[in-house]
Amino acid sequence: MRRILLLSTLLAAPVLAQSGQGNVSITIYNNDLALVQDTRQLDVPVRRSKQEFPDVSGMIRPETVTLTGDGIGIVEQNFDYDLLSPQALMQKAVGEMITLVRTNPATGQEMRERATVLAVNGGVVLRIGERIEVLRDDGLPVRVIFDKVPENLRARPTLSVTMESARSGTRPVTLSYLTPGIGWKADYVTMFDERAGKIDVQGWITLSNNTGTTYANADTLLVAGQVRQDQGYDPRRSYRPPPPPPSSIRNPGTETAGRERLGDFYLYPLAERTTIANQQTKQVSFLDVVGAPGRKAYEYRNGWLDAAEEARSADTVLKFSTSREQGLGDALPAGIVRVYMRDARGNAQFIGESAIGHTPMGSELGLKTGEAFDVKVKPVVEKRERIDYEEWKTTERFRIKRSDGAAMTGESDSLRTTTFWRTSMRYTLTNARPESVTVDLTQAGLDNYWGDTRIISESLKSERRSADQAVWRVTVPANGTTVVTAVFDTRY
Amino acid sequence: MRRALLPLLMLLPSGAAGQVVTTSSGPDAVSVTIYRDPNRDGSQKMQLSWLNGYALISETRRVDIPAGDGDIRFEGVAGGILPESAIVTGLPDGVIEKNQDAYLLSPASLLDRSIGRRVHLRRTSRATGEVREHEAVIRSGAAGAVILQTEQGLEALRCTGIPETIVYDKIPEGLSAKPTLSVRTRSVAAATATITLSYLATGFDWQANYVGNLSPSGDRLDLFAWVTLASGDETSFVDASAQTVAGRPNREDGGRRIMPQASPLSLQCWPAGKTSDIPLVQTHDGAGPPPPAPPPMASPMMAEEIVVTGMSRSAMKVTQEGLGDLKLYRVPEPVTVASNSQKQVAMIDREKVKVESVYRAEIHGGAEERLVQIRMILRTRNRTSEGLGLPLPTGGVAIFVEGRARPILLGEGAIEDKAVGEDVEIELGDASGVLAHVVKTEERKQGSSFLLTASNDQDRPVRFEADFGKDIVAAGKALGRRNGRPLWAVTIPANGRVALRYRTDPTRDR
Repeated sequence: MRRILLLSTLLAAPVLAQSGQGNVSITIYNNDLALVQDTRQLDVPVRRSKQEFPDVSGMIRPETVTLTGDGIGIVEQNFDYDLLSPQALMQKAVGEMITLVRTNPATGQEMRERATVLAVNGGVVLRIGERIEVLRDDGLPVRVIFDKVPENLRARPTLSVTMESARSGTRPVTLSYLTPGIGWKADYVTMFDERAGKIDVQGWITLSNNTGTTYANADTLLVAGQVRQDQGYDPRRSYRPPPPPPSSIRNPGTETAGRERLGDFYLYPLAERTTIANQQTKQVSFLDVVGAPGRKAYEYRNGWLDAAEEARSADTVLKFSTSREQGLGDALPAGIVRVYMRDARGNAQFIGESAIGHTPMGSELGLKTGEAFDVKVKPVVEKRERIDYEEWKTTERFRIKRSDGAAMTGESDSLRTTTFWRTSMRYTLTNARPESVTVDLTQAGLDNYWGDTRIISESLKSERRSADQAVWRVTVPANGTTVVTAVFDTRY
Repeated sequence: MRRALLPLLMLLPSGAAGQVVTTSSGPDAVSVTIYRDPNRDGSQKMQLSWLNGYALISETRRVDIPAGDGDIRFEGVAGGILPESAIVTGLPDGVIEKNQDAYLLSPASLLDRSIGRRVHLRRTSRATGEVREHEAVIRSGAAGAVILQTEQGLEALRCTGIPETIVYDKIPEGLSAKPTLSVRTRSVAAATATITLSYLATGFDWQANYVGNLSPSGDRLDLFAWVTLASGDETSFVDASAQTVAGRPNREDGGRRIMPQASPLSLQCWPAGKTSDIPLVQTHDGAGPPPPAPPPMASPMMAEEIVVTGMSRSAMKVTQEGLGDLKLYRVPEPVTVASNSQKQVAMIDREKVKVESVYRAEIHGGAEERLVQIRMILRTRNRTSEGLGLPLPTGGVAIFVEGRARPILLGEGAIEDKAVGEDVEIELGDASGVLAHVVKTEERKQGSSFLLTASNDQDRPVRFEADFGKDIVAAGKALGRRNGRPLWAVTIPANGRVALRYRTDPTRDR
């Protein structure tokens, strides 16, 4: 009876495998995470039944699955990942009967016989009638035919739910779960017109699906923001370091963008349903701004005691704002900004890219697009010497009460030797461009060890941006050179 | 009930209804701008089989835009395309979405996508040659573990010793031969448009290659330079406008990128141990089939084809222009950037550049008595008065000297990006005839004393420079300074020697 049933299902199997998904809504977060909601029409019989859900994400986190439907109670959920393979099939057949079809190598004639599988350890040991044999020990062709697929062996990891229903009939059932393997970021195309001081920016949402499953005709919503995830070990997810802090934001903004929001997150719904295919990278436009102000600046940051044998290029930095009045007028989700300029023939050429973090509206941005060929800085440690000097220091004050009741107070001084290191730096800034440029020259690392660092003298007034950094705004004439010198006293 | 729904569902194609697919087979005009590998300096040569630079490719294509919803597929794009960088301009009604499908047609993906479908199982008898086909449904195929259901029951594929294979009726949807970029459009009426498709692609690189001929007197250099560009991509760009960009554009780690998957199929069977197998070493349980062989290299071997365009001493030279803070070099005529090839076009051709040969020793503290290695350096300044005065992009330098009616290779060095006005030094290798000898003459806590002797075995005077550590004080002589360190610059007479006494000063930082 079972044999006939199997055959009938075999013949009824559609020639085209149709996706088992229903009405799919998918919410995609930045950090490799998506919430899939899949409403399927399910024919549920009355009382207890086991339902399988094919075509869920291949990377589904089964512990996050919830199933809701009218009049349905869940008995248990199973995620079966014992996969159907020749080896598994043979191992589950131990003690069972199989059919052998032997082919005569000379005549091609087939001979069938039934056998019992005794063991599958290294090789397959069979009992055929009263004989014991090892399968294909003589190397002759033998086909093995199994009667059935054992329970729990599946072609793909499969979610199955045992449910109880008060009534029978078809009804919508919503399956929702979290899955890694699908995420999104933003990609920005920026056309920079240096002469006009303008930028045109197009923003694209780039989503990529690596889950092994195609989501057909999905209602898609993208959420800008990192949701915190449980850091439990998941062998199916490779380690990915957290994204670096957004250093490109020079001054965080305080304006609210006119986008849909949910709590701290900005939401980017796709205008129409889309099919997110497996192994697909998909891009949808979300921002198009023309003629926002943008300008170029040069920056160079020198580490403590860094010196160069050859001059090093200053960074080229593109500065613009995301404010409503003076800039792009939108919040920018994290991604990569690619900057293009037109060459002498008017063709767009790539001049560099820079990553940004989630950027609120109204922020001032400074993106390093590259290093300037013609603007260079050569830092040199001119002199570094130890300076010892002695100083008198009050080290303690004391009060003593004597046994006769009289009190005595006093101070104790000591001579102490202090050692300083005096470092003379010289920075040579050169400019081979036909116009003068201004370079923000930063000496960093002034906060090293106890931080007792002082600038004794300098050829140009610096701005102490922090305990760690002093900044000189240096103007370098066209095709010229400017030298900045400074002397630092440090503890070490 | 669910099965009854299926035919109804099949009437509605997944995705947009009535979507027309048009294919653009190749570009009409193409521009290739090549950027250097940012992590390769001038002394490292380009590895043609491992090019880590990139290119901006701009293609002009004529496409037919269907009325209503359409899907335009772009074929013939570079294999190393970064899909997130693609820009499509010129479509009259814009783009709904851009897609790149990296799910490739391969034996493994064909099987994987056919799970649950009906296929044919073809068996050939070794004895009679008779071919028999059976209907079968693939029940499992993950990682080559193929289980087929036939009318007789369940069988594994090719565990039997019988020649057998799966024959498919059609290719499952969504599998393509190459990663294919496509755009979804929506247009009121059918139209033909000229569009521009530009994208970044990996697998390219370029550098400058300088060849210098030094005059016998050693103070004049005829300098010639090539732009050497290479493509490791599988796509050739015919009659392309070619550019290279010098300088360092910033690059970011693009994060996880979907790589094209085209895995071979290696079938799994049940344990096939025999009574004649004597297990010498127990490797793993089950002694199954050996692990699948590693996938073959995706790209074919690099053809070592080198195309030299332009005759000796530059019938065609690249032109240079500024591009923001970068330098752009343009090949003036259309050229073909062929797949897996290297191309060279002349860039610089300057005669009689003023140079100076210097022998330099770097001297820091050290042993009691030793010889210090001396390097030959060719030094000039990138100015018009020296015969240069133009941007010099990073690249290798080969210096030849005229001698005995044939050029002799003096040495190979490298220069990094040099702007106009900068000092240029080319290190050519170790000297053998000019030697520096250091002897420690006295050791004290307040500083040790040394004697440096530099000798010259040539019959003409040479310039010698001793580059000292910061803690050096010379005895008797005032030293010059360079890069914050004491420098002794002196001329050693022909077949002569010079000497300097110096000591270390422990109060100065090295």
